Amino acid sequence: MAQNDELDLLEDGLRKTMLSKSGPELDAALNDLGWAEMLSDMPDVAVPMIFRLLGETGSHASVLVDVVLHATGNEIGTDVELPLPYAGNTWVIWDRTGKTGTALGGLPLRREDDGYPIRVAEGRVAVAWWLVGSARAMLTLASRHALDRIQFGKPIAGFQAVRHRLAETLVAIEGAEATLSLPDVDSPDLTALLAKAAAGKAALTAARHCQQVLGGIGFTEEHELQRHVKRALVLDGLLGSSRELTRKAGAGLRARGSAARLAQL
Amino acid sequence: MTAAADFATTAEFRAQLVAWLDENDLTPPPGEHSLDAHQAQHLRALKALYDAGWMRYGWPESAGGLGGPDILRAIVGEEIVGRGIDHPGPYSMLDVLTPTMIDYARPELAAEMVPKLLSGQESWCQGFSEPGSGSDLASLTTRAVQDGDKWIVNGQKVWTSFAQYATRCVLLTRTGGPDTPNHEAITAFFVDLDSPGVTVRPLRTMHDVDEFCEVYFDDVEVPADRMLGQPGDGWKLAMDLLPYERSTCFWQRIAYLYSRFDALIAEVKSVGQAIDSDMGETYLALHMLRCRSRATQHRLGDGQKLGPDTSIDKVLLAGAEQRLYDTARDLMPGVIELDDTAWRTEYLYSRAATIYGGTAEVQRNIIARRLLDLGKE
Repeated sequence: MAQNDELDLLEDGLRKTMLSKSGPELDAALNDLGWAEMLSDMPDVAVPMIFRLLGETGSHASVLVDVVLHATGNEIGTDVELPLPYAGNTWVIWDRTGKTGTALGGLPLRREDDGYPIRVAEGRVAVAWWLVGSARAMLTLASRHALDRIQFGKPIAGFQAVRHRLAETLVAIEGAEATLSLPDVDSPDLTALLAKAAAGKAALTAARHCQQVLGGIGFTEEHELQRHVKRALVLDGLLGSSRELTRKAGAGLRARGSAARLAQL
Repeated sequence: MTAAADFATTAEFRAQLVAWLDENDLTPPPGEHSLDAHQAQHLRALKALYDAGWMRYGWPESAGGLGGPDILRAIVGEEIVGRGIDHPGPYSMLDVLTPTMIDYARPELAAEMVPKLLSGQESWCQGFSEPGSGSDLASLTTRAVQDGDKWIVNGQKVWTSFAQYATRCVLLTRTGGPDTPNHEAITAFFVDLDSPGVTVRPLRTMHDVDEFCEVYFDDVEVPADRMLGQPGDGWKLAMDLLPYERSTCFWQRIAYLYSRFDALIAEVKSVGQAIDSDMGETYLALHMLRCRSRATQHRLGDGQKLGPDTSIDKVLLAGAEQRLYDTARDLMPGVIELDDTAWRTEYLYSRAATIYGGTAEVQRNIIARRLLDLGKE
């Protein structure tokens, strides 16, 4: 119980920090809060919490680079230009100085011509939690709007066409989160691949349904939704898109000749 | 052929069960596809599993069980249904109706009856839906009127699975007057189906199986001590039953869907990479469902009360099941339309996955109202 209270406190602190800081400033703040120790000592708690909160708050930090560095036996926090796989067999660099380029939604990503194969399973899990957080943020915005927005004399949440879209979004998010919540598994790479695919799909589902429910206001720059929609699009491509990973899972079925039952009681 | 009752972990339990199943072949006789053959196999498998103790784990000793956590039942179900020893439909009735009897029947009645069900001496059915009461179950009109120490039942049920094989029925009736709120006006009974006045008529479905029945009740006398719970407890009984339907039963059904997915992989893998996207989508849907259901089994096993959150499991199950059979149709062109195989029957049956056990629309309304707090529709 005491441990849960401590985690709740940590989460509250992190959320506040993320709401006030982003980019290199947030990196610095996370380092002060002990991010490197958290990642090496308790990744199963730290990664879901930090990345989900990045999604929920719409903030960003280069902590993904650390997750990949740590998984490949490198030092956390190293200022290295590490090519990360992106959709379409391409590569991107996450600029740790925060320099933004042409990437959608303000993430400091730029294309890189060459890369080399790296271990991505842990990074996929991290991005998947980020996508789940973004999806939840969109669902919260759209649900609140559906209750507040009155048309034809009642909240639009009362119309089944609207509420079913939001229900569908929650189903996609909960399904994705379930794939991220398996205990230690025999096939971590395949489990991470499927989780990233499920989370990307959930975030794109959330983007589509929540955009529709939010109607005109959700299409404006001033409304928060657009930031999450753009983040979801970019993160879906990072370390392999939902579409590509799903196809890859299909190829694995052919090679194996059967479907692995990854979830066991 | 007694089961080893000595296990420290669920993994050991499963290993012992698997070893027992390897030694005691319960595979159905080949070439037997009729519903009668399925039923015979169902009873035969249950008897062997009960005699060896496997069917008794996870049920309380007061009802003839051997105790242990609910999750043991999910493991037995997964192995039995996943190996094709029994079909998910008949097998699922055990996990739905046994908890209902244990929670609502008089203890002596539960102790007398439950072993008959678990050991394959009898099958039971669930008389809930009516021609006029599908999604709106609380509007049901089958009436029970008290007459001394018995109740007289009149009305009609429909979609009653396997009623033609059933000895008894867990029946929902209306006992309240017009001023009683719907949810307090319903009372459940445990009715012998050989009682005078009961007529069972199998209903031919679009997939050519007589699984569902219409059941008519004409002045059927039911002893008062066959009431499940108190007058007015019927709605609560129905709601309490749903989480069982959506936990252990779903786990068995998922095991079955995975076994059919393996069969599909074997059929189509030589096609090459053209199938990868469709197969990957199906795998992802099944995997999400299985992960979600795993978490639900553990919550049930930890004694948590399952509620509207199981509507998510139901939506995921229906979606994955239809996706699997849509993919089968897409990747095996002509097989469903031109050849008489199990794929055809199963494809057609999967069309009902978004209808039975609470329609997809009702589930989405529950999710919107109870999980997203979006108010009434």
